[in-house]
Amino acid sequence: MAKHVTQNLALAFLAGIVLLAILAPVLPLPDPIAMDVMNRHGSPSFAHLLGADEFGRDTLSRIAFGARASLAVAFIAAVLAGVAGVALGLVGGYFGGWPEILAMRPLDVILSFPPMLLALLTVALIGPGTETLTVLLAVLFVPTYARVAFGETLSVRHHEYVEAARALGHTAPRILFRTILSNVAGPILVQFSLVVAACILLESGLSFLGLGVTPPESSWGLMIRGARPYMYQAPMQLLWPCLALVLTVYSVNRVCDMLRDRFDPKAAVLWFPAPRKTARAASPAAVPAMGKMLDVRGLVTEIATPRGVIRALDGVSFSVRPGETVALVGESGSGKSMTGLSIMQLLPRRVGRIAGGEILYAREGAERSGASAAAAVDLARIPAARMRAHRGQEIGMVFQEPMACLNPVYTVGFQLTEALRAHGRMTKAEARARAEEELRRVGIPDPARRLNDYPHQLSGGMRQRVAIAIALCGRPRLLIADEPTTALDVTVQAQILVLLDDIRKMQGIGLVFITHNLGVVAEIADRVVVMYCGQVVEDGPVEDIFYRPLHPYTRGLIASVPQDGGSADKSRQLFSIPGTVPNPLDLPPGCRFAPRCPEAIAACTKAPPAMEAAGAGHQVRCIRWREI
Amino acid sequence: MHYLARRTAVAAVTLLTVATLIFLLLHLVPGDPAEVLLSSGGMAPSHESVQALRLELGLDRPLGAQYASYLGRILQGNLGTSFQDHASISAEIAQRLPRTLELILASTALSLLVGVPAGLLAALRRGGFWDGLFASLASLGLSMPAFVTGTLLILLFSQTLKLVPAGGYVGFWESPGQHLIYLLMPAVSIAVGLIPVVFRMVRTSVLEFLEREWVRTARAKGLGERRVLTLHVLRNALSPVVTVIGLHLGTLLGGTVLVEYVFNWPGLSGMLVQAVEQRDYPAVQGIVLVICILFVLINLGVDVIYGLLDPRVRTR
Amino acid sequence: MTAPLLSVRNLVKLYGGRGGPFSKAAAAIRAVDDVSFDIASGEVVGLVGESGSGKSTVGRTVLRLNEPTSGAISFDGEELTRATPARMRALRRDMQIIFQDPFSSLNPRARVEEIIGEAVDLRGPLPRGERRASVVRMLEHVSLSADHLRRFPHEFSGGQRQRLSIGRALAARPRLIVADEPVAALDVSIQAQIMNLIAALQRETQVAMLFISHDLGLVEFIADRVMVMYLGRVVETAPTREIYRRPRHPYTRALLAATPSIDPRAARARPRVLLRGEPPSPANPPSGCAFRTRCAFALEACAVARPALRDIGGGHQHACLRDDIDTPRV
Repeated sequence: MAKHVTQNLALAFLAGIVLLAILAPVLPLPDPIAMDVMNRHGSPSFAHLLGADEFGRDTLSRIAFGARASLAVAFIAAVLAGVAGVALGLVGGYFGGWPEILAMRPLDVILSFPPMLLALLTVALIGPGTETLTVLLAVLFVPTYARVAFGETLSVRHHEYVEAARALGHTAPRILFRTILSNVAGPILVQFSLVVAACILLESGLSFLGLGVTPPESSWGLMIRGARPYMYQAPMQLLWPCLALVLTVYSVNRVCDMLRDRFDPKAAVLWFPAPRKTARAASPAAVPAMGKMLDVRGLVTEIATPRGVIRALDGVSFSVRPGETVALVGESGSGKSMTGLSIMQLLPRRVGRIAGGEILYAREGAERSGASAAAAVDLARIPAARMRAHRGQEIGMVFQEPMACLNPVYTVGFQLTEALRAHGRMTKAEARARAEEELRRVGIPDPARRLNDYPHQLSGGMRQRVAIAIALCGRPRLLIADEPTTALDVTVQAQILVLLDDIRKMQGIGLVFITHNLGVVAEIADRVVVMYCGQVVEDGPVEDIFYRPLHPYTRGLIASVPQDGGSADKSRQLFSIPGTVPNPLDLPPGCRFAPRCPEAIAACTKAPPAMEAAGAGHQVRCIRWREI
Repeated sequence: MHYLARRTAVAAVTLLTVATLIFLLLHLVPGDPAEVLLSSGGMAPSHESVQALRLELGLDRPLGAQYASYLGRILQGNLGTSFQDHASISAEIAQRLPRTLELILASTALSLLVGVPAGLLAALRRGGFWDGLFASLASLGLSMPAFVTGTLLILLFSQTLKLVPAGGYVGFWESPGQHLIYLLMPAVSIAVGLIPVVFRMVRTSVLEFLEREWVRTARAKGLGERRVLTLHVLRNALSPVVTVIGLHLGTLLGGTVLVEYVFNWPGLSGMLVQAVEQRDYPAVQGIVLVICILFVLINLGVDVIYGLLDPRVRTR
Repeated sequence: MTAPLLSVRNLVKLYGGRGGPFSKAAAAIRAVDDVSFDIASGEVVGLVGESGSGKSTVGRTVLRLNEPTSGAISFDGEELTRATPARMRALRRDMQIIFQDPFSSLNPRARVEEIIGEAVDLRGPLPRGERRASVVRMLEHVSLSADHLRRFPHEFSGGQRQRLSIGRALAARPRLIVADEPVAALDVSIQAQIMNLIAALQRETQVAMLFISHDLGLVEFIADRVMVMYLGRVVETAPTREIYRRPRHPYTRALLAATPSIDPRAARARPRVLLRGEPPSPANPPSGCAFRTRCAFALEACAVARPALRDIGGGHQHACLRDDIDTPRV
């Protein structure tokens, strides 16, 4: 909130100083040039509110006229530079090729001079003066604008709406000035305020050196220059212009931050308070059910968004046996990825947090003996340091984007040996030998050479194999794979699916496979957990889910996948679920699927339905599953 | 190395362009160059003095010949003689250049030393007390021109508290301790403007990299938090920081001009301001050229560091 | 047989390869490598391939959103590659495009009325009221309503944005639409809605369509004819029924085999035939048949010459040297 107070103060100050500058000639101020030797360094009085300078001139008046000079130079220069720079940047960015070279290359010459030096060089040639200064500053800042406009145009140009405008047959000027300019205006406005601040600083600096605004005209830089030799006798005469200058630049900068926040709403994020040292108290009695290695019960996860806190997971329960593949299926916003991140305690810091429920995990062998409390942990409650010991060695995780999940600045070997050495003491040579072995296990040809490669030198499929090798090198007993094949082509996807399935069979690990792709689920899963709006709506063996789905959502999902079977009939339709997923901030009161459900009755919208057992290992969250 | 060769070639072309522009500037200004140089305050110079200057600077020769001899001179390291005392400009610059370099290095080091940890802390405790405090200080620092900071430091520490001298210079070999004391305030004045730049960049890129998938992968591997932060967040955040320092180099060099003037630091810039005041054009030309060479070389250095930091740039 | 609406001959599109003075000349990427095909009026042609196969580039180059490196594109008998910029702009109203990403394909600073209205304007200027009525009719066509006129794109969900894109494309009353992965960015349940909408509007307006997708199921649903691309080349083309029943090219077969089916028993019962490796770089394609490095049936002859598309009757063409691979039941 303090941010808004200072921002408003900054705005008010800026408005005041601009008014002062504009109104200076008509305000009842003493003549800023009239000297009065008798009143040298005069103290503040009614006639001279801020006192007088070394020539006995009125300080307040000189500050007002100084503002006039500084702001006028800065504003005019910033506008001139803006018009020229934006035009060059737009043209260069949109057309590319020769227009780009003609528009942008000459500007690099200006940029190869430090701005202050180019200014001094010019002043040395033609002497100081206000007009010289304005033109000079304008020239100096053309490249700044041009670069911003160019960069923005380049990124906007690749947006498909610009291509769509071309496809509509619009002319280049219309696309440039209507479609593109309005979309790059935000960053340019931010740039404008930055340039105004920079111009004020340069102008005052040059005037301070005696090479900018020339006496007897007034300028803050000149005032500081004049007061400097007498700073001990009359410190206030030095401080007033310093204060005016610093506060003005500060206000412009704050306005610039404000503009930036407005055009880049990403910055406005809501955060949870830092977690307290004491974690939520552990419930010692809780152990996973017999035969289960992972038993998630009533998991609630909250996410802070700019528009409020949402419950990304609301009472999610499911379990995994050793050697079993459980698929978490759902569309975007269903909470399937949040479930994986919650289990690993990898929710984005201070944005996501576990607010309830248990994630019970049985260590090696414990699930067979009907886990004793000592062998079980609640991953939702253990402190971060203890969680770390579980990551990689008990539970491994693979993510969706194979490019993004490897650090681009390290070699494959570095990232793999780093993981190996986190799991157990070994020398570098041992780790390297093991790393080679791990790469071979995930089917990477010529592993010794691949160790020296950087991620960007590998193909997508290879990167995902490396990520799997990293996740498995600590010999975890449970692997969470979050959309591991979504970014890959079907032929490569098939390879990765076989690899994961083989590893599961050979090592007997539990596999939690998170995906939106029902085809992949049918290929790989033993059991399927269907999620919708942060809840599990159906949970059962894979054949039950595909051949005897009970929940209307599951049915709709399966029916909407186009299936093979002659396309002779051109009028056929795909089954589709009407409507859209509800806003997580405004969920329907009863069943969350009711507004889209073809089978919904009045009772569905009254109370949220509970999970009901509907057969061996088959559960469904629908009050009408028996009837439909 | 392909990348390095290309950057070096670009730097060489830039240098040639800069040298050419500096040469041309005198001829681009409307009017006879010799007259322009001699006229001051609207007074027309005498015909004889203009003629004398023409001969001295070789302005009577054709432009191409002038340009050729100008480039030849520069390549030999000869920047001509001063209008004022006819001393060798190159010798004077050679003496002063290391002092300016020292100031730049000291203030950059100071900025990194303060800006990087502050940025990291603010990012990790985003939205917290330190984040807010540092952000406010950064906005203030960005609004302080170096000459104002310098003047206020003198007012406070020299005039009022009488802790340190108001300015001047003692050679390092004469008295290392004194030398550092004289270096302190000028370096701080420049750093006050640079620290916020480093701070903001570190904070932004740490925040961005913290949420990257490879950081999640690193945590999922079971790495310790310290290792994740240093090797997988901060290490990657350095590339944008290096870039931003490169971008602010021009401002930084401008800052040294003012700071050297404020503190009487006998570097290049002090000489430059004096030369501009006296309209000693050959001296101005020489100094600007040398600083531009410095500018281009440091930028080349930034590119090299950038390549070292990011294998994607190197191996492309 | 009537002349085709769109006729593409020997289309080639190279990217990069022009080395600047300071960079060594990089090998050009052959994104589209000698592709020829026709689309008849009212016909829906499906274009299938994996990433890097050049399928999107074909779509954009056909509309000259990318300039072709060589080849001929004729639309309704008029050669597009020789059209002047002004003539090209005029022709564009007959050829529209629907993009994949519903978030970047609509101008974030334009209201719905302007987005669709711009396309309506292409049919000639209308009085303000009629223009608005026309926009509203279009909105209702794509299951939106007049309430949405004053809204900005960010106020819509992904599926609704894609409806707007479809509305914009159709509002110009084009004769050809290139649909570039129009539902790939959408959730499954929304995908089905949009596919039904596209299919219904296509039937209604009889617009010809090039439907580009990596999803064989979607293509089968909507297309009359299918082309399969690999590494910039068309390897097989046939009527939809035919290509799904009797795929001839080893790549088409591998693609069909790798596509997961939503029948768990069938998925587990069928033998796992995996394609080895990943597609080679289009900057450096293999000699001869581009697929031979991953093909289980490759012969020495496959490395020698590039196989041409051969007609095997019934509109079925494929570019494989071998005729002796028995057709599996798919």
